[in-house]
Amino acid sequence: MIEFDRVSRRFGDLDAIRNLNLTLARGEMAFLTGHSGAGKSTLLRLLLLLDRPTGGEIRVNGERTASIPARSVPSYRRRFGVVFQEHRLLFDRSVHDNVALPLVMAGFSPRDSARRVRAALDKVGLLGSEGANPAMLSGGEQQRVGIARAVVARPEFLIADEPTGNLDPQLSAEIMGLFEAFNQVGVTVLVATHDLPLISRMRHRIITLKAGLLATTVVN
Amino acid sequence: MSSRKESATERWGPFAAWRAQHRIAAVSSWQRLLARPGSTCLIWLVVAISLALPGALLLTLDSVHRVTTDFDRGFQLSVMLETDATVSDVETIQSAITAWPEIDQVTFLHRDAALSQFAQQTGLSSVLLSLDRNPLPHTLLVAPVMPMSQQALEGLVGKLADLSKVGSVVANTRWMARLEKVLQVGWRWAWALGVAMMGGAVLVLVNTLYLDVAARKEEIRVVSLIGGSPAFVRRPFLYSGLYFGTGGGVLAAFGLWAFTAWVAEPVEALFLLYDHAKPLSGPGAAYPVALVSLGAIVGWMAALFATQRYITRLSAN
Repeated sequence: MIEFDRVSRRFGDLDAIRNLNLTLARGEMAFLTGHSGAGKSTLLRLLLLLDRPTGGEIRVNGERTASIPARSVPSYRRRFGVVFQEHRLLFDRSVHDNVALPLVMAGFSPRDSARRVRAALDKVGLLGSEGANPAMLSGGEQQRVGIARAVVARPEFLIADEPTGNLDPQLSAEIMGLFEAFNQVGVTVLVATHDLPLISRMRHRIITLKAGLLATTVVN
Repeated sequence: MSSRKESATERWGPFAAWRAQHRIAAVSSWQRLLARPGSTCLIWLVVAISLALPGALLLTLDSVHRVTTDFDRGFQLSVMLETDATVSDVETIQSAITAWPEIDQVTFLHRDAALSQFAQQTGLSSVLLSLDRNPLPHTLLVAPVMPMSQQALEGLVGKLADLSKVGSVVANTRWMARLEKVLQVGWRWAWALGVAMMGGAVLVLVNTLYLDVAARKEEIRVVSLIGGSPAFVRRPFLYSGLYFGTGGGVLAAFGLWAFTAWVAEPVEALFLLYDHAKPLSGPGAAYPVALVSLGAIVGWMAALFATQRYITRLSAN
């Protein structure tokens, strides 16, 4: 469970997020939407401890993130699978090694790690590209490699920041379908996106931010 | 997920995981080095020269120092007695000074023996035989307990000269004192050069590794974003630094060995002229071990320094 309790983040005179109250239940899938500058990215950065709130507190499974010491931040982040708009793959290594990265950090044995990587790539439909360099893949395929990397270590939470930003509608629908599939096996999913036509067809909560405030929250 | 418990058992223990992470970092850093053979060799050369040059200088000084201590061991004072001193006078003095703590051995050289030795060595026997009396005095060859400081030696010379029936004491100790000072200067010079050159090598290494860190900024960002600890982020760079330093150290050890082999022959010939059989020692085991370890330490420290700033900034974010 993720809770934002009257969270604010101020940059000088500007409130990126103001008095935000938000709860994401365990196993829930929700979309976070709003215009650019509405505070979506700030919210995700606060959740991943890339930034700290100037007011209020964030709790993850009841634990206050403010009380997490710097040395425990890496292991905290490993509880999240993160998907970025620009994929952020490493082009100096194969698809397999990109996906295996979180497993190396988490300390999986190479044999077990290889098995999990193949399973994750299979789920995103890229089993055949295991040995390829990600630079050789299309944008949609690269995004799916990014998703495989995010889910390979079976995180509690899956966070995506504009994952379909550069993709055509059909590919976007496929990617969202993948998130839904992971949600169905119990992962809590939060996707920041402004692809309203796509998400309005899906049966999940839509959280709308407007100038740092929670504007509406709708369940389809 | 239902598999949380299962994943805990599939995971390695912390030590095995740590070892596996090290192996991955070590291998990937090595491959990265091999992917750029030109620049890798250049860095190895820079480190090797910075280590080998002062190393060679120290080794040379070490050898010269050892040779001069050998000279010390053979060092003697010649105590020339007055021409009217009799053999019994000489023996009295001999037994008196043999008891002195600073004296190791005293040998009596009879004036006749000295004359025939002199005649033999110079080939002037016919001239010397034509003399109606032996012009040489009796001599005591005094070997002091070595090593002895220059000051103590001078004191001993004075003490011997003050004895009755002693004409003069000959000790050519000045050149030894000079050599000692020259060696001291040499040591300091070698150390200063060594420190300066190591400083230069460290700067080259830090700069290279810093450029490497900058070129892999995106990787560092991604890795720390998905939960890589600072140690995990830093590890491949530390291995690169270690490889640069160790490789340079190995090259320096080879260089030093080649240098010793190259100069050995003429130096040995030179020292043979001074009746000194085994002058220049090779680098032995201590020098290569010291060069390689020093290289490894310097490389590792340089990597630590180069990554420190970036990693701190990253974790402060």
